[in-house]
Formats: sequence, structure tokens, C-alpha cells
Amino acid sequence: MTTTLERPAPDKQAGGAPMIDRAEGWRRRAPLLPALIFTIIVTQIPFLLTIFYSLQSWNLVRPGSQSFVWFQNYADVFTDSQFRQVALNTVVMTLGSVLIAVALGLVLALLLNRQFFGRGVVRTLLITPFLITPVAAALLWRTVLLDPTLGLVNFVLSPFGASGTEWISEFPLASVMAALVWQWTPFMMLLLLAGLQSQPTDQLEAARVDGANSWSIFRELTLPHLRRFIELGVVLGTIYLVNTFDTVYMMTQGGPGVASANLPFYIYQRAFLGFDIGQSAAMGVVVVILTLIAATFALRLLFRTFSGEEEAA
Amino acid sequence: MAEVVFDQASRIYTPGAKPAVDSLDLTVADGELVVLVGPSGSGKSTALRMLAGLEPIDAGSVRIDGRDVVDVPSKDRDIAMVFQNYALYPSKTVAENMAFPLKMRGMDKEERGRRVRQAAEMLGLTDFLDRKPKAMSGGQRQRVAMGRAIVREPQVFLMDEPLSNLDAKMRVQTRAQIAELQNRLAVSTVYVTHDQVEAMTMGDRVAVLADGKLQQYATPPELYDRPTNAFVAGFIGSPAMNLLDLPRSSTGVTLGGVEVPLPREISDAAGSRDRITVGIRPEDWVLESTDADAGSVIKAVVDVVEELGSESYLYAHLAEDTSTSIVVRGPGRVKVRFGDPIAVRPNPEALHVFDVETGQRLP
Amino acid sequence: MAVTTSTPPDERTPDTAEGAPEPRRRRGNAVDVWLGVIAWVVGIAFFFPVFWMVLTSFKTEADAYTPTPKIIFEPTLEQYEGVFSSGIGPYLANSVGATVISTLLVLLLAIPAAFALSLRPVQKTSDVLFFFISTKMLPVVAAIVPIYVVVNEIGALDNIWTLIVLYTGMNLPIAVWMMRSFFLEVPGELLEQASIDGAPLWRTLREIVLPIISPGIFATALICVIFAWNEFFFAVNLTAANAGTVPVFLVGFITSEGLYWAQLSAAATLAALPVVIAGWVAQNKLVQGLSFGAVK
Repeated sequence: MTTTLERPAPDKQAGGAPMIDRAEGWRRRAPLLPALIFTIIVTQIPFLLTIFYSLQSWNLVRPGSQSFVWFQNYADVFTDSQFRQVALNTVVMTLGSVLIAVALGLVLALLLNRQFFGRGVVRTLLITPFLITPVAAALLWRTVLLDPTLGLVNFVLSPFGASGTEWISEFPLASVMAALVWQWTPFMMLLLLAGLQSQPTDQLEAARVDGANSWSIFRELTLPHLRRFIELGVVLGTIYLVNTFDTVYMMTQGGPGVASANLPFYIYQRAFLGFDIGQSAAMGVVVVILTLIAATFALRLLFRTFSGEEEAA
Repeated sequence: MAEVVFDQASRIYTPGAKPAVDSLDLTVADGELVVLVGPSGSGKSTALRMLAGLEPIDAGSVRIDGRDVVDVPSKDRDIAMVFQNYALYPSKTVAENMAFPLKMRGMDKEERGRRVRQAAEMLGLTDFLDRKPKAMSGGQRQRVAMGRAIVREPQVFLMDEPLSNLDAKMRVQTRAQIAELQNRLAVSTVYVTHDQVEAMTMGDRVAVLADGKLQQYATPPELYDRPTNAFVAGFIGSPAMNLLDLPRSSTGVTLGGVEVPLPREISDAAGSRDRITVGIRPEDWVLESTDADAGSVIKAVVDVVEELGSESYLYAHLAEDTSTSIVVRGPGRVKVRFGDPIAVRPNPEALHVFDVETGQRLP
Repeated sequence: MAVTTSTPPDERTPDTAEGAPEPRRRRGNAVDVWLGVIAWVVGIAFFFPVFWMVLTSFKTEADAYTPTPKIIFEPTLEQYEGVFSSGIGPYLANSVGATVISTLLVLLLAIPAAFALSLRPVQKTSDVLFFFISTKMLPVVAAIVPIYVVVNEIGALDNIWTLIVLYTGMNLPIAVWMMRSFFLEVPGELLEQASIDGAPLWRTLREIVLPIISPGIFATALICVIFAWNEFFFAVNLTAANAGTVPVFLVGFITSEGLYWAQLSAAATLAALPVVIAGWVAQNKLVQGLSFGAVK
């Protein structure tokens, strides 16, 4: 073979000189290997260890307590009513925040996808919440915004008779979700804005010439075009938000009780406050399995998105 | 200088599937400009890329100046290529772009500068040497790409649809410039295009490809006058030749209910076939008076008139057989319009006849 | 606050999107103006908490705690002095160290990998790509226990290099995908031309490919910076006083000092500021990074 740099095309090498294929294959693989090996070590080995630990009874505060108990931890997890509550919380928190953020993001993207004075500034203002360190954002919500007596939210709502509402303790899950939605709406907005701007102008012009009004253009052309981007937003938002930890930790500590705890926080509590390695590992495995089920579905959606991209490229 | 030979050269993307280029035999004489032309998917670009070393040669061989280049990497084949999108390095100025291949060959700076200036002068690029490609028009970029090929003083120029990104006027202008430049430099050139007008106007010889196979390799007049099969006949010439699948009669063929006699040698070559494909170029119809005797002329009804000023083309369907359409060249300022009847007669001396099944020319 | 505006990714002519279909100019303009005003109002509403945080950070505690929020007050830097004197310095240094070093490592690993998955692709490219993406689908919580145990065993708790390794692993998949999408934007013709010109591979990469993808490298780096800087879960579980990062400092700060809003706002502003600036600069590329290059 020559020193040709080839584009990714199907079976480019298939007919080529087979003698050199092997060496060439390794030469091509070499730049990839460090990243691949690093990723396997850092991300895969811990998961394998998790499975191993999950079969043991092991509490860090009782040295020497380590023993093999097979599936006892799993049995405990499934009979743990708190765990079920927390799992439900996680679903509500993740999907609720993602869907609200996507809906709001869509409205904002539509607003921003038009020419007006200072559009760049407005966009910059809008994305800022997404950039604020989540720990700082959670602090901000917990104190300055949602404080029952001195918080801005109650101050703004006081004309409507809402003063004195103890948001964090009365509506802990909703409070956490409000902070998450505030942080993630900007991302959805950016994603959907990119979607809107990738819509060919001539399609819209053709529709207008055909006599469609703005609502029917939106419903018949823009929304189908955005579908892929909305799906992508939901999938990506879910991937990132299912791991939410900082916001719960800083705003409510999962409380009261486990009313606002999600799985990351609950496992953290078990592992680092309860020091129960076996239990928390078993929960981790359960979470992985649940996530894998969701991810298979998500990957299928994503695959369509990515392979669509490849074809267009 | 160099002769380029494709010797049974094949490119097979997937084993077992149809080759992209199938046993191509082609010789480009020293200093000749050969155009590879064909529809998309015909294998013309693949053939060029095999010569460039951008695609492997899976079977057969390719020789440049007698040297088999199958295992020779691109850079050692002593070729220069002009790409469809010009492939100018965006981070380099015009001068740097043109000097880059020389630099990679270790040429000293002075000689590089001399050659770049010389080529720039030839192409009218002297004022643009310090510009980046981004700041230039399409035509200028095209010339830079040409310049980068010229400075190499290679044995062979390869051009892959170099004019397809230019507007119509620029294309005609540049077409002439490239042909003139190639003539002056006398470097063997292989030029790929899908545009048969480009092929006919530029090529010393033209190779017509379809489905990875060479259909015909000949000079432009010969391609036009004696197309070797129905594909070439239909591909070369605009508007395309009328290709009509007609039943034989005792002395010739029947067209629109009229006996069209065939010259003796064609008739002999057609042998005992019941049907043959008859090709008639638009200019090989003779327009007759519509009053003429029904047995001697073919009646047709005009669908569209293309008036070009110096001439016109009449698109019509036969009165007897409305599913058969023909194109007839008429004089400029022709008086007929949509729906008018016309009467035509083919010039029997200019008929092309092909086998219905194989498309091969008879005789 | 100095707002650095950046131009939208794609300047388009007005009325290209849905909306304002009215052929009569005047009515269209009125609608446009109103929608523009609404956009401004929403933008300010979203930004307001941030603005308020920054404002509060310049207040005295007395000004911060008023039943009617105060906009007019005498600004003071005493909160910032307080934050610095309470020892944010080492935490800032840790954050900078972990962020910068992990980002450099990510680029070092991701650029060759992306090259091997784009311009000169290995076999099974898509399998490898999906392996990378799938690592982001697995929840971090499930790995934290063994990570803690292993890190503890090898005595690397509260060590900045532990965070660097983990942050590198965390950002690598995103960077590989993103860099790959930049590599794919390099026209194939250019590489073919370079190979005909006789440029060796490393020279092609350095002189031709690198200048084209350098904006992409910059954007990728900024996105890695954002994630590493904001990361909290690993930091809070694996570090303490020695290797703690700024988010860890924030947590310690409120527990040791209690909730003093003005001071807390100053600390939060300091924590958020570097990433906010990085994000403003990289806003056009944020989506590309977060979506693994699926959206350009």
C-alpha cells in the first residue's frame, strides 16, 4: 500500500495488498491505543470491582468484617423500601427536569432564532446558568433565592401571598428540580438553536411561497426537523442528570428523610456515611443494570442520530 | 516526458462485487491530453486515482514512462494532480502552496522561488502570491491549483474535474487556457470530466467509460462519426443522437410507417436480425415540405422548439407512433411551434446502426 | 459585570425562521419587536440569580440580609478579603492544577485517538466510538466505591493526581468524539494532495491538518476545563484539605463559617468565574462537546 491517507470508506483495504495489512493495521491502531487502554482501566475496572464487592459483606468501620455473602446484598437492596423511594425520586427528578428543560429550551430557542437587537448578549445571558459551578448554583438557590424570609423568590411572589413558604423543606424535590431546570434549560436551548439553524432556509421559503402560515410551518416542517434534536436533548440530558449529586448534596442533603434523595446521593450516604461497601456496591450494580436498560434504548436513538450525521458529512 | 499505460488495470472495492474499474487498457502517448469521460459511477475518477496512487491497483498494472507503478507511492510517481475542489492548503499563502511540493522534494529555496514566480507569471497570479486561498475567487484558486501542478514539472498531469466548480463563462475560458497551457508544456495529461463538451473540445483523444469498462478510445471526430456502440452514440453529442429500435423491412427499416432504405454494407452487416437500433443525429434529418407524399416522408408533431438563434432543435413525436420521440435540427428562426406538423427524412448516408441486444455497432 | 458578547454561530438574515410571515412589513415589525423584548426579559430573568449573587458578594452582611432586597448600597470588597483570608488559595491552586493538567492529558490522548478514528481509520471504528460513548452512560456512583477502596489502598486519597487521572478518564470520551468531528471536517483532497506532494505523515499533520483543526482543539480544551473545574463528586469523596478543589472549599466554607450570604456569594462568584468566562468564549462549541459531536 502507499502512504495514502484514506477517508473512512467501506472496506477500503479489502482488495489491497494483504501482505502489508497487518503492519498497516497496527500502525493505524497505535495512536488509538493509549486513549483506549486508559479509558478501559479508569472506567471498566472499577465496575468489575463493584460487582465483586457487591457479593461481599464489608463494612469499613468494622475491620475484618469482610466476607463473601453472594446475593445477600441484592436481597437487602430489593427489600429496602427507602431504595425504592429513592429510585422513584431519581426517575422523577431526571425525567422531570429533562422534559421541562427541553420544553423551555425549545421556547427560548425559537425566541433566539430571530433577529433582534442584542441577540448575542441575550444568548450569553441565557447560557450563564449552565456554566455556574453546580455547587455554587445549589448554594445560591438554597440561600439567596429560596430562603423563606429573605429569599428573592418569596419577595417576588409576596404580592401573590406566597411569602414565608419554606420551599426547601416543603417542596424539596421540586426545589432541586427547579435548580436543575435553571441550569439545564440553557443547554437545551443551545442544542435546539443549533437544530433550528441547521434547517435549510429554502425549505422554509418554499413553504412560505406555498402559502403556509407560521404555525403550520412550525408544525409541519420545523418540529419534524427538530425531532432528532429533541430526542438527542432528552437522551443527553438524561445521561448527565441521572448522575446529579452536587445539587442534592448542597440543597437538601436528600432530606427531609429521603424525600429528595436520588440514587447517587443515596449510594454516597451508604458508602461514605454508613461505610457499607457491600451494600452500596450492590446498589451501584442495580443502578448500572437499570441504566443499561435505559441506555440500550437511548443508544439506539443516538445511533440513528450519529449515523445520520455520518451520511450527511 | 512520459507515456502512460493502463494494462488490464482493475480496482475491486469488495471482492466478488463488480469492479469499479474493470480491466482498463489505455495508452496515453507522450505529451498527449487524454480525457476520461463518462457518467457518474463509470469509474473514470477511480481510474485517475489509480494512476495517482490514491487507489490501489488490484489487478493488472499501470506504467508511467515504462515503469510499473503499482507499488510506487504517489509521491514517487512524478505526477501532479489538480483536484475538483483544488485542495489548496488553507493555512499557506499562494506562493507557499505552490512551493510546498518542491520543498518536500528538498529543492533549494532559490530554485523554488524562481519556479513559483515563473508559473505565477504564466497564470497571471503574480499579484496574489502573498494571499491566502480564502481571499481569492474560484477562478483564481483554480489557477493556483494549476500553478502548483506546473511548478513540479512532472511527467504527468492528472486533473479531476478541475472546472466543475466554476461558473459557465469562466469554465469556457479556463477550458481554453488549460488546453493551451498543456500544448505549450507538452506534458502528458489525463483529464477527468463528466461533461462531454469538455471532453470533445479539450482531448487529443477521449476515453468513454461506463460501468467501469472502457467503451471507446478515439479522437473526438471519430467518437462522433463512428461511435462504437449505442452507449457512446447516445453519450457524445448534444442534443443526444436519436436511438430508435426499429423493425427490419425488405430494403431497410420501417420508421413511422415509412420504409427507410439502408445502405448496402449496413444492410449486409445487419444480416438476418428482425430489429436493429438505428441512430440518427439531430442534424442528420432533412426537413421536408409537409405536403410531400405520405410514403416518402415521416410525419411528426412538434412538442417543443428550442430556438438558439443560429439553429433550432425541434422535439417532436411521430404522427403514426406517438410513443416515439425524435429531435431534429432545424434552421435558425424556424417558423414552426407547438402542435405544428412537420415532415422529415433521415439522411441515409449518416445512419448509425447498432445491435438491439448488445448495442454494438454494425458493421 | 462586563459581558463579553460573542457573535451567534450563524448570522442569518431576518425572517428566515418561522415567525413574521406577514407580508405587511409594519405588523411583522411590531411582532418582531415584542418577541425581541420577551427574549430580553427571559434572558435577564435567567441571568438575574447570577447577577444577584455577584451583587451580593459586594455587600456587607447587613446589606445582604434585608427583607426588601437592596439594589443600592455601598459596595465593599471585604467579603472577597474574607474568602481569601479563610484560605481559598490552596483550593484554587488545586483546581487550576487538576483542571489544566487533566485537560492537557486529555488532549494528548484524544488527538491521536481521534486521528485514528477519522483520517486514517482503524477497523471497527464505530465499535470503538461507541465504547467511548458508553462509558459516559454508566453512572459514576456505581464506580465510586471501588475507586475509593483502591485509592485508599494505594494511599492516594487526598492526592491531586488521583483527581487528575479521574478527570482525564471522565473527559476523554467527549474529547475523542469532539476532536474526531473536527478531523472529519478536513477535506480528504487536502490529504491526498499532500501525499502526492510527498509530505510525510507527521509533516502533513503539523503543517496542514493542525492549522485547520486548531480552533477545534481550543474548543475541546475549554469544554474539558469546564467539566473538570465544576466536578464535585470525586473531589468531595476522595480529597480533603490537601488536594481539595474549589467546590470542596465551598462546602467546607459554609459548614465552618455558617451561612453568611455575602461572603458565600463572594466565594461562589470566585468559584464560578473561570468557567463562566471559559463557557462564554466556547459557547458555540458547548453543544458540540456535550453532544459528542453529534451537533456541529
